[in-house]
Amino acid sequence: MLQSRFNRLSERLLHAGIAPRHVRRYVRELGDHFDDLVREENAAGTTRELAETKALSRLGNDDDLANAMLSRPELRSLTARYPWAVFGLGPVAMIALSVVAALFLEAGIIMLLDYLLHGVIGYAPATEAAKIANAKIATQIFTVYNTLAVYGAPLLFAWLFYRVGSQQRMRPAWIVTGVVLVCVLGGFQNLIFYDTGCRGCGRLLVESSLIPPFSHFTESLARAALNLAIACGVWWFAVRRKALSAMELHTARM
Amino acid sequence: MATNPSFMNGVPELLILRTLEASEMYGYELVQTIRAKTNQAISLGEGVVYPALHALEREGMLKSRRKLVNGRTRVYYSVTRKGEKHLAGLVRHWQHITDAIGLAIGGTAHAAVTL
Repeated sequence: MLQSRFNRLSERLLHAGIAPRHVRRYVRELGDHFDDLVREENAAGTTRELAETKALSRLGNDDDLANAMLSRPELRSLTARYPWAVFGLGPVAMIALSVVAALFLEAGIIMLLDYLLHGVIGYAPATEAAKIANAKIATQIFTVYNTLAVYGAPLLFAWLFYRVGSQQRMRPAWIVTGVVLVCVLGGFQNLIFYDTGCRGCGRLLVESSLIPPFSHFTESLARAALNLAIACGVWWFAVRRKALSAMELHTARM
Repeated sequence: MATNPSFMNGVPELLILRTLEASEMYGYELVQTIRAKTNQAISLGEGVVYPALHALEREGMLKSRRKLVNGRTRVYYSVTRKGEKHLAGLVRHWQHITDAIGLAIGGTAHAAVTL
Protein backbone atom coordinates (compact mmCIF):
# COMPACT_ATOMS: atom_id res chain seq x y z
CA MET A 1 0.00 0.00 0.00
CA LEU A 2 2.78 2.38 0.99
CA GLN A 3 4.76 1.49 -2.12
CA SER A 4 1.83 2.12 -4.44
CA ARG A 5 1.14 5.41 -2.65
CA PHE A 6 4.77 6.49 -3.15
CA ASN A 7 4.64 5.33 -6.76
CA ARG A 8 1.60 7.52 -7.36
CA LEU A 9 3.35 10.43 -5.66
CA SER A 10 6.48 9.90 -7.80
CA GLU A 11 4.45 9.85 -11.00
CA ARG A 12 2.58 12.99 -10.01
CA LEU A 13 5.78 14.87 -9.23
CA LEU A 14 7.61 13.65 -12.34
CA HIS A 15 4.70 14.64 -14.58
CA ALA A 16 4.74 18.08 -12.97
CA GLY A 17 8.39 18.45 -13.91
CA ILE A 18 10.17 17.89 -10.57
CA ALA A 19 13.73 16.70 -11.21
CA PRO A 20 13.96 12.88 -10.93
CA ARG A 21 16.84 13.09 -8.43
CA HIS A 22 14.69 15.14 -6.04
CA VAL A 23 11.74 12.78 -6.51
CA ARG A 24 13.85 9.67 -5.81
CA ARG A 25 15.40 11.22 -2.73
CA TYR A 26 12.07 12.56 -1.46
CA VAL A 27 10.41 9.16 -1.73
CA ARG A 28 13.35 7.42 -0.06
CA GLU A 29 13.37 9.95 2.79
CA LEU A 30 9.60 9.61 3.22
CA GLY A 31 9.99 5.83 3.39
CA ASP A 32 12.68 6.14 6.08
CA HIS A 33 10.60 8.68 7.97
CA PHE A 34 7.60 6.35 7.84
CA ASP A 35 9.71 3.49 9.26
CA ASP A 36 10.93 5.75 12.08
CA LEU A 37 7.37 6.84 12.90
CA VAL A 38 6.15 3.23 12.99
CA ARG A 39 9.04 2.31 15.28
CA GLU A 40 8.21 5.26 17.56
CA GLU A 41 4.53 4.29 17.73
CA ASN A 42 5.43 0.64 18.34
CA ALA A 43 7.74 1.66 21.15
CA ALA A 44 4.81 3.54 22.69
CA GLY A 45 2.86 0.28 22.75
CA THR A 46 0.72 0.77 19.64
CA THR A 47 -0.08 -2.28 17.52
CA ARG A 48 1.66 -2.59 14.18
CA GLU A 49 -1.48 -1.86 12.17
CA LEU A 50 -2.46 1.20 14.19
CA ALA A 51 1.16 2.39 14.22
CA GLU A 52 1.21 2.33 10.42
CA THR A 53 -2.07 4.24 10.20
CA LYS A 54 -0.81 6.85 12.65
CA ALA A 55 2.52 7.10 10.84
CA LEU A 56 0.77 7.72 7.51
CA SER A 57 -1.37 10.40 9.04
CA ARG A 58 1.63 12.11 10.64
CA LEU A 59 3.56 11.97 7.39
CA GLY A 60 0.85 14.03 5.62
CA ASN A 61 -1.78 13.24 3.02
CA ASP A 62 -1.01 12.74 -0.67
CA ASP A 63 -1.97 16.27 -1.65
CA ASP A 64 0.09 17.88 1.11
CA LEU A 65 3.15 15.81 0.22
CA ALA A 66 2.80 16.59 -3.48
CA ASN A 67 1.99 20.28 -3.02
CA ALA A 68 4.96 20.81 -0.70
CA MET A 69 7.21 19.78 -3.58
CA LEU A 70 5.19 21.43 -6.36
CA SER A 71 5.19 24.79 -4.58
CA ARG A 72 8.95 24.95 -5.10
CA PRO A 73 9.62 25.69 -8.77
CA GLU A 74 13.37 25.63 -8.13
CA LEU A 75 13.12 21.85 -7.71
CA ARG A 76 11.84 21.44 -11.28
CA SER A 77 14.30 20.02 -13.77
CA LEU A 78 15.92 22.13 -16.46
CA THR A 79 14.29 19.85 -19.02
CA ALA A 80 10.83 20.64 -17.65
CA ARG A 81 11.55 24.35 -17.40
CA TYR A 82 13.17 24.78 -20.82
CA PRO A 83 12.08 21.86 -23.01
CA TRP A 84 12.59 23.93 -26.17
CA ALA A 85 16.24 24.45 -25.21
CA VAL A 86 16.91 20.83 -24.28
CA PHE A 87 15.04 19.14 -27.13
CA GLY A 88 15.30 21.93 -29.71
CA LEU A 89 18.72 23.53 -29.31
CA GLY A 90 20.31 20.58 -27.49
CA PRO A 91 20.52 18.30 -30.56
CA VAL A 92 22.10 21.06 -32.66
CA ALA A 93 24.68 21.85 -29.98
CA MET A 94 25.44 18.20 -29.25
CA ILE A 95 25.94 17.24 -32.89
CA ALA A 96 28.15 20.29 -33.51
CA LEU A 97 30.21 19.62 -30.40
CA SER A 98 30.53 15.90 -31.10
CA VAL A 99 31.83 16.56 -34.64
CA VAL A 100 34.31 19.14 -33.38
CA ALA A 101 35.41 16.85 -30.53
CA ALA A 102 35.81 13.85 -32.87
CA LEU A 103 37.79 16.02 -35.30
CA PHE A 104 40.15 17.35 -32.65
CA LEU A 105 40.64 13.91 -31.14
CA GLU A 106 41.43 12.45 -34.54
CA ALA A 107 43.83 15.28 -35.40
CA GLY A 108 45.51 14.76 -32.02
CA ILE A 109 45.89 11.01 -32.58
CA ILE A 110 47.32 11.58 -36.09
CA MET A 111 49.84 14.13 -34.81
CA LEU A 112 50.83 11.90 -31.89
CA LEU A 113 51.31 8.88 -34.15
CA ASP A 114 53.31 10.98 -36.59
CA TYR A 115 55.52 12.24 -33.75
CA LEU A 116 56.02 8.75 -32.27
CA LEU A 117 56.74 7.05 -35.60
CA HIS A 118 58.96 9.68 -37.14
CA GLY A 119 60.24 11.71 -34.22
CA VAL A 120 60.79 9.04 -31.55
CA ILE A 121 61.24 5.72 -33.35
CA GLY A 122 62.64 7.30 -36.49
CA TYR A 123 60.60 5.04 -38.73
CA ALA A 124 60.81 5.63 -42.48
CA PRO A 125 59.27 3.24 -45.01
CA ALA A 126 61.93 1.63 -47.19
CA THR A 127 60.04 1.62 -50.45
CA GLU A 128 57.30 3.57 -52.21
CA ALA A 129 55.07 0.48 -52.07
CA ALA A 130 55.49 0.31 -48.28
CA LYS A 131 54.54 3.98 -48.00
CA ILE A 132 51.35 3.39 -49.98
CA ALA A 133 50.52 0.26 -47.99
CA ASN A 134 50.94 2.19 -44.70
CA ALA A 135 48.80 5.04 -46.03
CA LYS A 136 46.09 2.52 -46.95
CA ILE A 137 46.12 1.01 -43.46
CA ALA A 138 45.99 4.46 -41.81
CA THR A 139 43.10 5.48 -44.08
CA GLN A 140 41.20 2.28 -43.24
CA ILE A 141 41.74 2.65 -39.50
CA PHE A 142 40.59 6.27 -39.44
CA THR A 143 37.67 5.48 -41.74
CA VAL A 144 36.47 3.02 -39.10
CA TYR A 145 36.87 5.73 -36.43
CA ASN A 146 35.01 8.27 -38.60
CA THR A 147 32.23 5.81 -39.34
CA LEU A 148 31.80 5.06 -35.65
CA ALA A 149 31.77 8.77 -34.85
CA VAL A 150 29.25 9.84 -37.50
CA TYR A 151 27.01 6.78 -37.15
CA GLY A 152 27.37 6.15 -33.45
CA ALA A 153 27.16 9.64 -31.95
CA PRO A 154 23.68 10.55 -33.31
CA LEU A 155 22.25 7.21 -32.17
CA LEU A 156 23.86 7.56 -28.77
CA PHE A 157 22.41 11.08 -28.42
CA ALA A 158 19.00 9.88 -29.64
CA TRP A 159 19.02 7.24 -26.90
CA LEU A 160 20.07 9.90 -24.39
CA PHE A 161 17.18 12.20 -25.39
CA TYR A 162 14.75 9.30 -25.19
CA ARG A 163 16.06 8.30 -21.76
CA VAL A 164 16.06 11.81 -20.29
CA GLY A 165 12.64 12.58 -21.76
CA SER A 166 10.97 9.38 -20.60
CA GLN A 167 12.58 9.51 -17.14
CA GLN A 168 11.20 13.01 -16.67
CA ARG A 169 7.80 12.06 -18.15
CA MET A 170 8.12 14.68 -20.89
CA ARG A 171 5.43 14.91 -23.54
CA PRO A 172 6.27 12.52 -26.40
CA ALA A 173 6.25 15.46 -28.85
CA TRP A 174 9.35 16.91 -27.16
CA ILE A 175 11.17 13.58 -27.12
CA VAL A 176 10.33 12.97 -30.79
CA THR A 177 11.60 16.47 -31.64
CA GLY A 178 14.94 15.79 -29.95
CA VAL A 179 15.37 12.33 -31.43
CA VAL A 180 14.41 13.38 -34.98
CA LEU A 181 16.66 16.45 -34.90
CA VAL A 182 19.66 14.54 -33.61
CA CYS A 183 19.15 11.68 -36.13
CA VAL A 184 18.69 13.99 -39.13
CA LEU A 185 21.42 16.49 -38.24
CA GLY A 186 23.78 13.66 -37.30
CA GLY A 187 23.13 11.94 -40.61
CA PHE A 188 24.24 15.00 -42.53
CA GLN A 189 27.67 15.36 -40.92
CA ASN A 190 30.72 13.79 -42.54
CA LEU A 191 34.15 13.20 -41.19
CA ILE A 192 36.65 12.12 -43.84
CA PHE A 193 40.30 11.16 -43.63
CA TYR A 194 42.62 9.91 -46.30
CA ASP A 195 46.35 9.44 -46.36
CA THR A 196 48.23 9.62 -49.64
CA GLY A 197 51.49 8.27 -48.33
CA CYS A 198 53.33 11.55 -48.66
CA ARG A 199 54.08 13.13 -45.28
CA GLY A 200 51.89 16.19 -44.65
CA CYS A 201 49.68 15.51 -47.67
CA GLY A 202 46.93 13.58 -45.81
CA ARG A 203 43.50 15.15 -45.59
CA LEU A 204 41.17 15.35 -42.59
CA LEU A 205 37.85 16.94 -43.54
CA VAL A 206 34.66 17.75 -41.74
CA GLU A 207 31.66 18.70 -43.83
CA SER A 208 27.93 19.12 -43.53
CA SER A 209 25.73 18.09 -46.43
CA LEU A 210 23.23 20.71 -45.34
CA ILE A 211 25.59 23.53 -46.31
CA PRO A 212 26.44 24.40 -49.95
CA PRO A 213 27.83 22.69 -52.04
CA PHE A 214 25.73 19.92 -50.39
CA SER A 215 28.33 17.23 -51.06
CA HIS A 216 27.34 13.61 -50.34
CA PHE A 217 23.73 14.82 -49.98
CA THR A 218 22.01 11.60 -51.10
CA GLU A 219 24.32 9.47 -48.97
CA SER A 220 23.66 11.73 -45.98
CA LEU A 221 19.92 11.59 -46.57
CA ALA A 222 20.09 7.81 -46.54
CA ARG A 223 22.11 7.88 -43.34
CA ALA A 224 19.61 10.21 -41.67
CA ALA A 225 16.81 7.83 -42.72
CA LEU A 226 18.78 4.88 -41.36
CA ASN A 227 19.35 6.71 -38.05
CA LEU A 228 15.63 7.42 -37.81
CA ALA A 229 14.74 3.82 -38.64
CA ILE A 230 17.11 2.50 -35.96
CA ALA A 231 15.83 5.03 -33.39
CA CYS A 232 12.20 4.13 -34.21
CA GLY A 233 13.05 0.43 -33.89
CA VAL A 234 14.70 0.87 -30.51
CA TRP A 235 11.80 3.06 -29.32
CA TRP A 236 9.24 0.49 -30.46
CA PHE A 237 11.21 -2.25 -28.69
CA ALA A 238 11.45 -0.20 -25.46
CA VAL A 239 7.73 0.64 -25.48
CA ARG A 240 6.82 -3.00 -26.16
CA ARG A 241 9.10 -4.21 -23.37
CA LYS A 242 7.56 -1.72 -20.94
CA ALA A 243 4.04 -2.78 -21.94
CA LEU A 244 4.94 -6.45 -21.55
CA SER A 245 6.46 -5.99 -18.10
CA ALA A 246 3.41 -3.94 -17.03
CA MET A 247 1.16 -6.75 -18.28
CA GLU A 248 3.25 -9.37 -16.43
CA LEU A 249 3.02 -7.33 -13.24
CA HIS A 250 -0.74 -6.99 -13.68
CA THR A 251 -1.10 -10.76 -14.27
CA ALA A 252 1.06 -11.55 -11.22
CA ARG A 253 -1.16 -9.34 -9.03
CA MET A 254 -4.38 -11.05 -10.20
CA MET B 1 -3.22 24.49 16.83
CA ALA B 2 -4.33 25.20 13.26
CA THR B 3 -1.88 27.38 11.39
CA ASN B 4 -2.84 29.96 8.77
CA PRO B 5 -0.76 29.14 5.65
CA SER B 6 -0.17 32.80 4.72
CA PHE B 7 1.41 33.37 8.14
CA MET B 8 3.62 30.33 7.64
CA ASN B 9 5.67 31.78 4.78
CA GLY B 10 9.31 31.48 5.70
CA VAL B 11 8.56 29.74 9.02
CA PRO B 12 9.68 26.22 8.00
CA GLU B 13 12.98 27.66 6.69
CA LEU B 14 13.52 29.61 9.89
CA LEU B 15 12.81 26.60 12.10
CA ILE B 16 14.90 24.25 10.01
CA LEU B 17 17.93 26.53 9.87
CA ARG B 18 17.70 27.37 13.56
CA THR B 19 17.45 23.71 14.56
CA LEU B 20 20.20 22.53 12.26
CA GLU B 21 22.46 25.36 13.38
CA ALA B 22 23.17 23.42 16.57
CA SER B 23 23.99 20.07 14.99
CA GLU B 24 23.50 18.06 11.83
CA MET B 25 20.34 15.94 11.73
CA TYR B 26 18.32 13.72 9.43
CA GLY B 27 14.70 14.45 8.57
CA TYR B 28 12.88 12.51 11.28
CA GLU B 29 15.24 13.75 13.99
CA LEU B 30 14.81 17.32 12.77
CA VAL B 31 11.00 17.15 12.79
CA GLN B 32 10.90 15.70 16.30
CA THR B 33 13.27 18.40 17.56
CA ILE B 34 11.11 21.15 16.00
CA ARG B 35 7.97 19.61 17.50
CA ALA B 36 9.59 19.53 20.91
CA LYS B 37 10.97 23.09 20.63
CA THR B 38 7.64 24.60 19.57
CA ASN B 39 5.61 22.58 22.09
CA GLN B 40 3.83 21.16 19.06
CA ALA B 41 2.25 24.59 18.45
CA ILE B 42 3.22 24.43 14.79
CA SER B 43 1.51 21.51 13.21
CA LEU B 44 2.80 20.47 9.80
CA GLY B 45 2.59 17.17 7.95
CA GLU B 46 5.99 15.71 8.83
CA GLY B 47 6.75 14.73 5.24
CA VAL B 48 6.55 18.30 3.96
CA VAL B 49 9.83 19.17 5.64
CA TYR B 50 11.82 17.39 2.90
CA PRO B 51 11.00 19.71 -0.01
CA ALA B 52 12.07 22.61 2.22
CA LEU B 53 15.34 20.79 2.98
CA HIS B 54 15.95 20.09 -0.71
CA ALA B 55 15.24 23.70 -1.65
CA LEU B 56 17.50 25.06 1.09
CA GLU B 57 20.27 22.74 0.00
CA ARG B 58 19.82 23.82 -3.61
CA GLU B 59 20.15 27.46 -2.53
CA GLY B 60 23.37 26.63 -0.71
CA MET B 61 21.94 27.22 2.78
CA LEU B 62 22.31 23.58 3.75
CA LYS B 63 24.61 20.77 2.82
CA SER B 64 23.87 17.09 3.09
CA ARG B 65 25.82 13.89 3.44
CA ARG B 66 24.92 10.25 3.63
CA LYS B 67 25.79 8.48 6.83
CA LEU B 68 25.37 4.84 7.79
CA VAL B 69 23.62 4.61 11.16
CA ASN B 70 22.52 1.25 12.61
CA GLY B 71 22.77 -0.36 9.20
CA ARG B 72 20.64 2.31 7.51
CA THR B 73 21.81 5.10 5.26
CA ARG B 74 20.51 8.45 6.41
CA VAL B 75 20.76 11.83 4.72
CA TYR B 76 22.14 14.24 7.31
CA TYR B 77 21.70 17.99 6.81
CA SER B 78 23.78 20.79 8.26
CA VAL B 79 23.85 24.59 7.86
CA THR B 80 26.43 26.27 5.64
CA ARG B 81 28.02 29.70 6.19
CA LYS B 82 25.51 31.16 3.70
CA GLY B 83 22.70 29.50 5.66
CA GLU B 84 23.93 31.05 8.92
CA LYS B 85 23.85 34.52 7.37
CA HIS B 86 20.40 33.91 5.94
CA LEU B 87 19.18 32.67 9.31
CA ALA B 88 20.39 35.84 11.01
CA GLY B 89 18.36 37.87 8.50
CA LEU B 90 15.26 35.70 9.00
CA VAL B 91 15.47 36.01 12.79
CA ARG B 92 15.73 39.83 12.54
CA HIS B 93 12.77 39.87 10.18
CA TRP B 94 10.61 37.73 12.47
CA GLN B 95 11.57 39.73 15.54
CA HIS B 96 10.49 42.86 13.70
CA ILE B 97 7.14 41.24 12.84
CA THR B 98 6.48 39.96 16.36
CA ASP B 99 7.37 43.38 17.79
CA ALA B 100 4.95 45.03 15.37
CA ILE B 101 2.17 42.56 16.21
CA GLY B 102 2.87 43.03 19.91
CA LEU B 103 2.36 46.77 19.48
CA ALA B 104 -0.75 46.32 17.34
CA ILE B 105 -2.52 44.12 19.87
CA GLY B 106 -1.67 46.53 22.62
CA GLY B 107 0.95 44.52 24.38
CA THR B 108 4.61 45.07 24.78
CA ALA B 109 6.97 45.63 21.89
CA HIS B 110 9.35 43.06 23.31
CA ALA B 111 7.64 39.88 22.20
CA ALA B 112 10.85 38.29 21.03
CA VAL B 113 10.90 35.08 19.10
CA THR B 114 12.33 32.28 21.15
CA LEU B 115 13.28 29.29 19.06
